[in-house]
Amino acid sequence: MNLKLVSCEIFFREMEFLLEQSPHAIDVAFLQKGLHDIPADEMLKRIQARVDEASEGPYDAVLLGYGLCNNGLVGLRARTIPLVLPRAHDCITLFFGSRQRYQTYFDAHPGTYFKTTGWIERDAVAEELKQLSIPSRMGMDMTYEQLVEQYGEDNAEFLWEELCDTRRNYSRLAFIEMGVEPDNRFEKIAEQEARERNWVYEKTAGDLTLIRRLLNGDWDDEDFLVVPPGAAISADHSERIVRIRPDA
Amino acid sequence: MARNEALFEAVLKGKRKDVAALVQTAIDEGTNLESILMDSMVPAMAEIGDRFSRNEAYVPEMLIAARAMQAGLDLLDPLLQAAGHKAIGKVAIGTVKGDLHDIGKNLVAMMLKGAGFEVLDLGVDCDVEKYRDAVEKGAQAILLSALLTTTMPYMKTVVEGLKGSSAKILIGGAPVTQAYADEIGADGYSDDANTAVKATKVALGIAA
Repeated sequence: MNLKLVSCEIFFREMEFLLEQSPHAIDVAFLQKGLHDIPADEMLKRIQARVDEASEGPYDAVLLGYGLCNNGLVGLRARTIPLVLPRAHDCITLFFGSRQRYQTYFDAHPGTYFKTTGWIERDAVAEELKQLSIPSRMGMDMTYEQLVEQYGEDNAEFLWEELCDTRRNYSRLAFIEMGVEPDNRFEKIAEQEARERNWVYEKTAGDLTLIRRLLNGDWDDEDFLVVPPGAAISADHSERIVRIRPDA
Repeated sequence: MARNEALFEAVLKGKRKDVAALVQTAIDEGTNLESILMDSMVPAMAEIGDRFSRNEAYVPEMLIAARAMQAGLDLLDPLLQAAGHKAIGKVAIGTVKGDLHDIGKNLVAMMLKGAGFEVLDLGVDCDVEKYRDAVEKGAQAILLSALLTTTMPYMKTVVEGLKGSSAKILIGGAPVTQAYADEIGADGYSDDANTAVKATKVALGIAA
């Protein structure tokens, strides 16, 4: 098959590693990380544009290197060729290799911050996205100094704790080792961050299965949603995560 | 009673110390306690909420106004209670099980207090039992928050778990939509902290 992959750059190393091994010819478009923080309709617009572009090309299907991503893919429409999306809430499902494994981990450790190579080397958010980002529009990314300047010392202290210290309820950092790391530099950075924040650190093994199956064309209905031309993606609010919205 | 303009402004601008001083002065002067609250402070919170809805004020402004309001309430509450003053309603709010996000939940809780509600803040990671306890403690409305699509389905579990109780259930949070509220049979939905207050009043039949 001739396929087009439209993926979040958070999977850069995993995708590059697996693309080499795919039996299919796959062209790739990586999009900036951070789209899940902008309004869902803005995220949708950007991904739809890439899907539309691909639908004009010589492809049999568009693969999506995304999950539901804060509903940013809700409404995404297949034009002339099918879309293929893993049944996943977000990238962590794809790093864990299955949504069941992610759910199990999530239930056992709700306050976990995850790190992978992508979440370390591509963690910066583009300036253009920051302007649109909901946390930044809420004032959550202001520095303490900016808060003091705008709201005075007394209120700045309060706002810092209440609004800007967004990681205060986290207590654990998990580095998911995907087997695409060049050496231990990334886990060292993750471990260091955990230490600085006084969080429990854990290295856990990732699983490339789901991403590999996406790239290899092994799309069963249990783990993937294949959206036929004309239909769109919808959130399912169940263990299935996503479903097809058939309306034109 | 007329509005105390200085107090109204101090709440609106988030001047916590000024609010405390002005409320203390008003108390000392023998001003009607309920009037201090309902004619000056609650309207200031309503004003900041409306400015927020019109994009003329932002979350930090709302937060500091709510905090200033609280400084006044700390002085007024014991006196109001002793005088037999009734809150406009009793509600409980908490982020659902598995979800530890609380910025939005805290803001809504503060805005509800600012509107004259008695608020039970259940915190984060709340299971059905916790919400049920709140209903047993007299909460007329239960507000659920979720910030992740992973945890949002638990709202349905809560709605089902509280079936048959008299409490109204309202939901909100980044991934939550009116369509989802309809799907799970919630009594109300809101997408920001100001309309959350309005939706709660509507659900409880309280005049705006």
